[in-house]
Amino acid sequence: MPNTGHFILHSNVMPPITAGPYELRTDQSGLPFTVETEVTHIRVAAPRYTMPTEQILSSFPPANAEGAFGDRLPQIVLKRRTLPWERNPAGSANPSPVPWLALVVVAEGEAELSTATPVAECFTAGTLAKIADPTDRDVEQGLYLAVTETVVKKLFPTAEDLPLLTHVREVDVNDTELANGDDDGWLAVVLANRLPVFDTAAAKPVRYMACLVNLEGQLDALPPPTPPVPSFEYALAQDWSVLATVNATSAPDQLVMGGVSMSHVVLPAAGLGSTRPPHLAAPALKTTSAGAKIGNAIDGGASMAQQSVSKQWVSSPTASIAAAAKDPDAKRKVRDTMAVGFRYPIELYAIEKVLRFPVLAHWSFTTSGKESFETLMQDIDIGLLGTVPERAPNAPASEAGPEVVQTGHIGLDHRTRRGDTSRAWYRGPCVPFPTPRDSTAKDEPLALAHAADQLRRVIPDGREDLALAAAFEIGRLLALSQLSVVSALLRFRGEQFGAGRVREILAELVPFELPVLKHQRFDIGRFVAMQTLDVLSKNTDRMIGPQRPVADPGRPLRVDGDLDALIAGGLGYDLASLRKRADAVGMVAALEQTQAPVALKPGQAPNEKLVVPALRAALGAELERTLGVAAPPRIVVGPLGVARAARKPQPDALDALIAHAPPDDETEDLP
Amino acid sequence: MKAYISGEVAIQAAMAASLNYADIVTDQDPDDGTHVVPGEVRRFLARLRLLHGVPFSYLVPDAELLPVESMRFFYIDRAWTDALVQGALSVGTITSADRTQLEAVYPHIRDEVDEAERAIRRPKGEPRLAAGSGTITGFIVRSRAISGWPNLHVRAYARDVVADDALTTAAESHPDRMKVLRMERLAPAVLFVLFDGVPAVVHIEEPRQGIQFGARLDPEDPPASRRAKVHVRDCNTGDSVPPLDDLTLDNSVDVPFRAGAPGVIDLTNLRKRLAAKAPNSGGTLEPNEYALQMLRFPYRQVFGDPDNQQGQQFYSLNSFKATVALSDWKKTVTANLAKVIK
Repeated sequence: MPNTGHFILHSNVMPPITAGPYELRTDQSGLPFTVETEVTHIRVAAPRYTMPTEQILSSFPPANAEGAFGDRLPQIVLKRRTLPWERNPAGSANPSPVPWLALVVVAEGEAELSTATPVAECFTAGTLAKIADPTDRDVEQGLYLAVTETVVKKLFPTAEDLPLLTHVREVDVNDTELANGDDDGWLAVVLANRLPVFDTAAAKPVRYMACLVNLEGQLDALPPPTPPVPSFEYALAQDWSVLATVNATSAPDQLVMGGVSMSHVVLPAAGLGSTRPPHLAAPALKTTSAGAKIGNAIDGGASMAQQSVSKQWVSSPTASIAAAAKDPDAKRKVRDTMAVGFRYPIELYAIEKVLRFPVLAHWSFTTSGKESFETLMQDIDIGLLGTVPERAPNAPASEAGPEVVQTGHIGLDHRTRRGDTSRAWYRGPCVPFPTPRDSTAKDEPLALAHAADQLRRVIPDGREDLALAAAFEIGRLLALSQLSVVSALLRFRGEQFGAGRVREILAELVPFELPVLKHQRFDIGRFVAMQTLDVLSKNTDRMIGPQRPVADPGRPLRVDGDLDALIAGGLGYDLASLRKRADAVGMVAALEQTQAPVALKPGQAPNEKLVVPALRAALGAELERTLGVAAPPRIVVGPLGVARAARKPQPDALDALIAHAPPDDETEDLP
Repeated sequence: MKAYISGEVAIQAAMAASLNYADIVTDQDPDDGTHVVPGEVRRFLARLRLLHGVPFSYLVPDAELLPVESMRFFYIDRAWTDALVQGALSVGTITSADRTQLEAVYPHIRDEVDEAERAIRRPKGEPRLAAGSGTITGFIVRSRAISGWPNLHVRAYARDVVADDALTTAAESHPDRMKVLRMERLAPAVLFVLFDGVPAVVHIEEPRQGIQFGARLDPEDPPASRRAKVHVRDCNTGDSVPPLDDLTLDNSVDVPFRAGAPGVIDLTNLRKRLAAKAPNSGGTLEPNEYALQMLRFPYRQVFGDPDNQQGQQFYSLNSFKATVALSDWKKTVTANLAKVIK
């Protein structure tokens, strides 16, 4: 990935296959039986008649911009890096380094941009048969650019130029300035081949439209290479703008059948002009340029003229734009306005062949004057806020500038609450020098105004300074204008003041200490739970009830019958011999003297003859059981009447593999 | 445990509540930390401090203060923005208890909003910067450059660390780069920018989104024969062949045009000419090498750099420096006056 601020240029990024329908056939061979061929249908999708907006990253010059773009080539940046090569313009299914997209720049009056048209009609007639998979369409209706052959010869790139006009740029994704929100940092760029120059001879701004066109099937319509010339002169490739003067309300029928004067309309040489039969001469034509006027107003092109400064902020162009935006049809109007000047019905009037190219994206811009970003920035008037342009020394009093003083205060008309008119001082938040923040000393509490009047100041010249009071009021109104802010403020106050009051009252009422609240979030539920547990554990007998005794008394033992017999039986003694001895020394002494029978005396080794077979038998039984669990006995069910012989398993592939495997023990034994 | 309280106790509780609970935490945000002031209030007040939503006529009270094609630098008056915040806070303070409580909590609000100011505009991938209040400066431009070139870049530096013609820039979190607190087009042709500090150098640059391609037209040519040239670049490094600011026979080629077509460049022939002249081209140019030759870098206007070589030097912006505060000046004058009178 390139470093921030750097980028890498690539000639192209070719997709492995072009867009279109594919059939994926899966055959499997080498099997003892035949496998049916698996057929899957795949469609590789790519835009054809319209470019999805999410694929367009940026365009230069910006849409509807006005400036000196004369020495920069217009360009459009696409997000998917393979987009310009996803179709083969020659109609083959194989990818080709010649892109199918071209950016064509036409000036106002040179070409016609259609309105929405069924996509089948977006190509020149007969082209559809030459493109790959003509049924592949991404939309039902598209736009097309109608241009005469003359204009194509003059403006369109040659087939050799096409690969030079597209390249791929690789940028750092995190560089917001270069990647501009792209996801992978790879961008395809399509350049135009025409400098959108300014009309220096007439010193008139020129409106251009850049169209991203689809060249599929029409590569042979592109101009052949011609010997270059070292210089050029601004002129339209072909000027159809006279068609704007034809009354928009008169239908073409009327035009052909007569009734509309074409006498003053001078059409381009290749147009109808002199070849039109003379019977067309008829009543005067109402000329209208209403459409052109809409364009000017919304573009703001006309409003850039130097008006008087104070008028500019309340000027009628702004008002008309605002009014236009309220129109429910505003969206359509804006789109139409952008295309004004590119909607001349050329196809109806031109005699030579008119070619159609599908337009995937288009935008218009105006090249004006010599003002580039560079010259504008260099000629800008710099100063600190409060600088007022100098006036002519003998300017009339009515044109006196604002009353601005060095502190940045400005004198404004002020109507007091009593209705008197006077002048007051105002200063905005932007001041020409650093100002102190607080007037209060460090140990004093911060001054806080509760009403705007607390911030009104009277300065020594007797006039009021209303700057801070105005700030207070606008802050109050801004807060009041948002319900969520008002409720958040009240909630905040409730959380602090309300909680504090509840706590103070609680402190009076409850017998225990309330917790310290500093620097932690106050959670009453948790606090109550903790306090409850604490109190409960301290007063268990009162709050929970009597405790259970430490140990339960045992049940009484039942002793029935002869005590001697019971003891002897319990200890395993012989009762008769015990009785006999007891006759001599008494029962207790007899018990003491009698030895309890034990299996092994302390220190005596166990008898192997007895122990080992027992252990072995136990081991064998346990082993049997474990194996029985692990490998259940196989139950072989054979056909009736056939001896139940264990069937030998057929050797399978794994057996063969094991048999043929090289013995690996030998290698391990080697030193 | 008591079953009732007296009125006196209730009043005392209210008074204590308004005075003593100003610093209890109401907002604990794992991203934002612990705060006395809830996040939504803090963010609203911080946006207010950056003058979001303040009517334009309050910022520039007279059109002549910002004429057509002008740029005005300024300091932000903290007293003014504090008054704005106090106005917003005054909403819903009805009783004396409310106001007492607001006075008690105001120092917290002020400090936390100072901090929140810096978090309002936070570019993707940049670390969060936090510190107390400082001087805020900025500028306001009214120019066709703003309406014609949307998304232009504004950068400010505390020290002039980036060469005026450097292709790269310092990251926004770089210690020498001033953070942009707010950058907004208030109208199609009016740009309003606030910086976190007093910048030494300000760069304004053409939008970079489309690094552009083009040739240089000679503005002095007669309209009937207009010519253009392309400055040749080294194919290996991408650097322009010196001299940088002059187009000579050795470092430029004439752009061939298509006969009879206005402004249409004969790309194939231009490629041949460039391939012949560009160093390390190897005799031919691939489309990407060709694009490299046609690159035109965005123009960068540098303000306030006395050693500026590339752009034009404007009238001294040295006046745009911290000067004596009015209160200090007043103090000095009264002190000196007192000496004189004695």
